[in-house]
Amino acid sequence: MKISFLAALALALGAAVPAANAAEIEFWYGNTGRVEEAIQNACEAFNAAEDTHSITCVGHGGYEAGMQKAIAAYRTGEHPVLIQFFDAGTLDLMLSGAVLSVEAIMPEVAWDDYIGGARSYYETSTGELYSQPYNGSTMIFYANMEMLGEVGVTDIPETYKGVVEVARRLKDNGHACPVLQRVHPWFSLEQFSARHGEAIASNNNGYGGLDAEYTFNTGLVAEHLVNIAAWREEGLFRLPADTPAGRNGFNAGECAMLETSSAAYGGALAALGDAVGIGFAPIYEGYERRNTLIGGASIWVMKDHEDASYDAARAFLNFVREHDQQIAFTRHTGYVPVTNAALETLKASDMADEPEFATADIGVASLNMPGDANSRGIRLGFYVQFRDVFIQEVTMALNGEQEIQAALDNAAARGNELLRRFEQTYQGVELP
Amino acid sequence: MVRRYCKAGKMRQGFYVGRVTYAMLVAPILVLIFLFFYVPVGLAFFWSFFLERPFGGGSQFVGMQNFSRVLSDPVYWEALRRTVVFMIIAPGLAIGISLVLALAADRGLRLSQAARNIVIWPKAVAGASIGVVFVFIFNPFLGIFSPINDLFPGLWNPRIDGNDAFATIVVAQVWNGIPFNFVILLSGLQAIPDMLVKSAAMDGAGSWRRILDIQLPLLTPQLFLTFVLEFVGTVVEAFGLIDTMTQGGPGEATTLLIYKIYVDGFKAYDLSGAATQTVLLMIFVIVMVLLQFRLEKHVKYER
Repeated sequence: MKISFLAALALALGAAVPAANAAEIEFWYGNTGRVEEAIQNACEAFNAAEDTHSITCVGHGGYEAGMQKAIAAYRTGEHPVLIQFFDAGTLDLMLSGAVLSVEAIMPEVAWDDYIGGARSYYETSTGELYSQPYNGSTMIFYANMEMLGEVGVTDIPETYKGVVEVARRLKDNGHACPVLQRVHPWFSLEQFSARHGEAIASNNNGYGGLDAEYTFNTGLVAEHLVNIAAWREEGLFRLPADTPAGRNGFNAGECAMLETSSAAYGGALAALGDAVGIGFAPIYEGYERRNTLIGGASIWVMKDHEDASYDAARAFLNFVREHDQQIAFTRHTGYVPVTNAALETLKASDMADEPEFATADIGVASLNMPGDANSRGIRLGFYVQFRDVFIQEVTMALNGEQEIQAALDNAAARGNELLRRFEQTYQGVELP
Repeated sequence: MVRRYCKAGKMRQGFYVGRVTYAMLVAPILVLIFLFFYVPVGLAFFWSFFLERPFGGGSQFVGMQNFSRVLSDPVYWEALRRTVVFMIIAPGLAIGISLVLALAADRGLRLSQAARNIVIWPKAVAGASIGVVFVFIFNPFLGIFSPINDLFPGLWNPRIDGNDAFATIVVAQVWNGIPFNFVILLSGLQAIPDMLVKSAAMDGAGSWRRILDIQLPLLTPQLFLTFVLEFVGTVVEAFGLIDTMTQGGPGEATTLLIYKIYVDGFKAYDLSGAATQTVLLMIFVIVMVLLQFRLEKHVKYER
């Protein structure tokens, strides 16, 4: 009796040993549509390939909703091991004390292989990568080559001077919307300043400490927005509000040129076919081109889980980094590969010429341009709120309710109040 | 107000025996109200005196600092001003139009039976759906006002003109409010004894005179009810419309208090700022409702 009990116990323990190392973990993400499909494909492929661990990927219908639920879950100790979060919330998570840096838990990975603009956005001021870049995009320039061809232009302009020249020709040819331009700071402030190597705030956009202050209101951005307003008066630039299809003006065939995310390429290709041409986002003459910033999101590892769960998390992060996984994700979504090695594999394969991969080359090249201290990224508190402030003030200026300069001064002043309150909220916390 | 006929000792005359039964019957809803109303409200009060980090840890007491910051922020006062303007215009129109419709339907005009049904239908449409539909209706290029833009380019564009956007939210809110107000006011009118109206008519009172001197005074309880519900509704329920139609823009033209709280708390993780504004909004609503109940002294329920 006793022996059989011990035997049973030993058997049970023996069976339990592999089970103790196996883990079922959750990964929360925010994307919908085709990106969600690609994420679910990756999860299924992981579960099929993995015999110890398994992952459940839970969609939350948006980055912000996912973050809200993660906050609530963390406060009650029900949080997932892995969570995807978008670029603008990087600082909130870095200071949250709720995450582990991926470099710390996976020192063996060749993190240097991540493309420059992606690394710098998610790393600390001392160069420690905190989260693993996942769905990466960046700003590129789109042109409808058929429309440009009608006025004898065959090359996509690379400077604003060139863009304006082409726009004038289009306008003289009766074109109602030569350039579609959005005022959201991702377009008119962040990506713009980064590729010109200009700071939007002191301390290198906040990388140097929480006591940063906004400085964009005196720099090139102010000049750029004044130009946009003048070009809009002249009928060269159009805001989404000025054109029937709004933000879809380019895909609808209303507008000839547009700067926007590389992730929009799939939609443009489906709508316009061969007419879509892409290039680097334009810069002003006399400036050296710097890297653009990464858009999209990265995967964060949260604290307070079992060792086995972290083994599973490592396995999943390694899995989505595999070249064929990155290439499959790029093909399905239009996001760019995030490691140089994966891009090389793609280029060496016979898939390189397929239209789905057209943005990979130019997007990665734009992210890999030589950077400087001001093109690393944005590390400013309550940044999501600041984006709204910027949109409000600039929209009022473009509607003629105030001068552009006054709008930028207001936005900077209100932004600085947000920064000071953020600094106070995180009093005593060191920015990593 | 309701008079209390039964004193505490006479409880036993009720349907159930013993207090425990009553307590148990009421308990579920009390627990729900406690969990989903008082606890969050309490937490909002608590957070409004702290600087709270979204993921917890290191929250620090700052006294009235959150309040002084919010109250010295011109953006907050602008949002409050817009909320008050919205609270006056939208209920005014929603109740005024419903009253006209109800008076017409009550008179038994031709087709009023059919109209009674049709006017109620919009009640079945959710606020967010109404927002989506009105975005199409007011589209500056394709909507009903696009002919105006053909004549005077750029005159109507709620995508960039704040006043236009505010007007679209008001129209959607009014449209949304009419069915319910109509039902309440019509039922109130039909409950007015026929003989009052008929005898007034026999005495030679015209239809306007009958409305002003008989129907409206006897309708005050229903008018009061719709006003209270509309006031509170415009403060808290306009959220769905704003979120689907304008997201608070352009500029800040349609950022009412309720939307600002949502953006600060749920999109920007500024829990303390949002909690402070929630407390202020609660105080605002309570004050408005108390003012209305002072008005209620003039409402006569007896007929």
